[in-house]
Amino acid sequence: MEEERNSDEKENALCGRSLTAASRDGGGRMPAAPLAQGKVERGKVYSGDGVLGYLEMLEAQAHELGLKQEEKEQQEKKLDRLKARVQELRARRDELRAKVELQEKRLLDKEGVMTDPAQPSAQTVLEWKVKSLKAMLQVFYLTGISGKLTKQGVCFCISTAYEGTYLDSYYVDLLIKPLVKIQRHSVPVFIPLEQIAKKYLQTDIRRFLSVLSDHLNAYVGRRRQADQLEEHFSDHIDGTLQRNSLCNLLVFNYTVSSNSKTFPFNVRLLYGDLCCSLPTEAIISCTPGTLPLLAEMAAAHSNAFRHMALHKAFDSLINAKESQN
Amino acid sequence: MDEVIVEYIRRTVLKIPRDEIMAVLQKWGFLSEAQLQTINFRQTKEGISHSVAQLCEESSADLKQAALLDIIYNHIYPNKRVWSVYHMNKTGEETDFFDFRDFKKKFRRQIQSALINVTINFREYEDNAIWIRIAWGTPYTKPNQYKTSYVVYHSQTPYVFISASVLRSNLPLLCQAMVVASNYHDIHEMELRSHCLNSLKDIVFKRYSQNFQTNYPLQERNVLTENVDLRINDENRSEKERIYRLNQESFGNGPQPKLDFAQYKLETMFKSDPKWDVLEKKEPFRCLVKFSSPHLLESLKSLAPAGLADAPLSPLLTCIPQKARNYFKIREKKSLHPGSFVSP
Repeated sequence: MEEERNSDEKENALCGRSLTAASRDGGGRMPAAPLAQGKVERGKVYSGDGVLGYLEMLEAQAHELGLKQEEKEQQEKKLDRLKARVQELRARRDELRAKVELQEKRLLDKEGVMTDPAQPSAQTVLEWKVKSLKAMLQVFYLTGISGKLTKQGVCFCISTAYEGTYLDSYYVDLLIKPLVKIQRHSVPVFIPLEQIAKKYLQTDIRRFLSVLSDHLNAYVGRRRQADQLEEHFSDHIDGTLQRNSLCNLLVFNYTVSSNSKTFPFNVRLLYGDLCCSLPTEAIISCTPGTLPLLAEMAAAHSNAFRHMALHKAFDSLINAKESQN
Repeated sequence: MDEVIVEYIRRTVLKIPRDEIMAVLQKWGFLSEAQLQTINFRQTKEGISHSVAQLCEESSADLKQAALLDIIYNHIYPNKRVWSVYHMNKTGEETDFFDFRDFKKKFRRQIQSALINVTINFREYEDNAIWIRIAWGTPYTKPNQYKTSYVVYHSQTPYVFISASVLRSNLPLLCQAMVVASNYHDIHEMELRSHCLNSLKDIVFKRYSQNFQTNYPLQERNVLTENVDLRINDENRSEKERIYRLNQESFGNGPQPKLDFAQYKLETMFKSDPKWDVLEKKEPFRCLVKFSSPHLLESLKSLAPAGLADAPLSPLLTCIPQKARNYFKIREKKSLHPGSFVSP
């Protein structure tokens, strides 16, 4: 390689010189033989400063050549490096390939030992089926009513929710053999389970469950609203919120300000429909008597309580008050 | 009168464990924090009670305050009393809006219409439980504050928990007042008694663990595989698993309600070969079996796993929370063999 390159360079240098000579003579490309003659002639023409100029020119050419050579050397080096890298990567690829092959072989060996080659796929299919069934059950659970067959009947689970939050779950264990009968349950005592059962249990289990679920959801909803009111607005309520087990009567006091005077309001929320989490009646009484403005305000508040969730209604009333102030 | 009240407060304080006196007095809220700070809690209980009494005298405590302290004491230590559960019946189906104010009014009116000399106090707790303390007198004597009846009632439920006073003659009046005030029609005692009020509540309100079967077991736990030494090979593994399963079916996973005893009264005929001529009379054979334990249901639950009884246990023993009773009378008709539950 080295020798080759050197000879190349010599050739180049020769060519370069001949070219310059040719152009200065104003002729076309000359054969190599008349070169000596030309040189002599040139020497004659540019005697004096001509030699220096020639040397300068040669120097510049040498410099140029040196640069080129350096560049070439660098490129060569880069090429070598890249070639080495290719080699390296190839080796790595082969190594990994071998590893993969080995592993595949090992896996196959293992499965071969344990079971038939056909069975693993069947098992995975089964697993997949179980998984999708479980997901189905989860969906049933999310709908609020789900059940499981037991030895003598069915055990239903009614899960309750209010405003997107899942709350308590209740269970009803039914016997179905001679007659449909409630064997055990965890429904709170104050829910009229017996009445609902008397009405629907023998004739329409679906209806029975949906009515019971309505009762439970409404109860849980009312309780949740009362809890939220106590939790977030206890400093706006005078005294405590009074409630009963079914949460179908809520009583509390708060103050309303009008014309820089404050008036105590007493609220009694009656939930006449046990399957509903909104009150059927909202009685607001205020002690100072019949100020028309106050009566109007009480009516507006009562309307809000009847149509909105308790904590939301109260929140809006408070905000309205504060914005007025 | 003041002296009597102060003495009553002093004696109530004496009943409280020493370390908890401060907490109870704070809950009572009658004495201010500054007043409580003056009490030296390092002296004997006798000494503490005297300083509390003195402070109460200075603040002129009245009967209402004294009664409130007693209610608070009984609410914190309900296990000092024996509670009995009563069941009320209703004929109508109307939903009622239970109002605590109306209830108090009706209850008070009903009792005082028959007996003037009574002290009645109410206190409502967060779990919708109403505690009623009644001190009874006679038409000619003042109420005896030391012989009180307690009633615990959860609104809109048919169950009443009564811890009767030693003066039992007033019980019918109390029951009558309860029925009227809560809009029911009649009341009768259930055969369920215990010291542990909360467990009685768990039983009748169906809050105890009932082991319902669902598709989503909350905890898939197998006790048998826990803490197993791999070097030990269990010979009776399947048998143990069977016992565990049966036990769980009858008792569930969770803790059991606390009962002190279960009583079975047998009134069965003695059966023998007529030739032997033993007990020819047609009189029933009477016998009483009483199981008592600090925690009866837990001990019954551990009988089978401990190998002291066969699994499953007799339904007579496992039906206690389900039937909500711990007094049973076993008669001939039911044809239950006494042996079936005396096995342990």
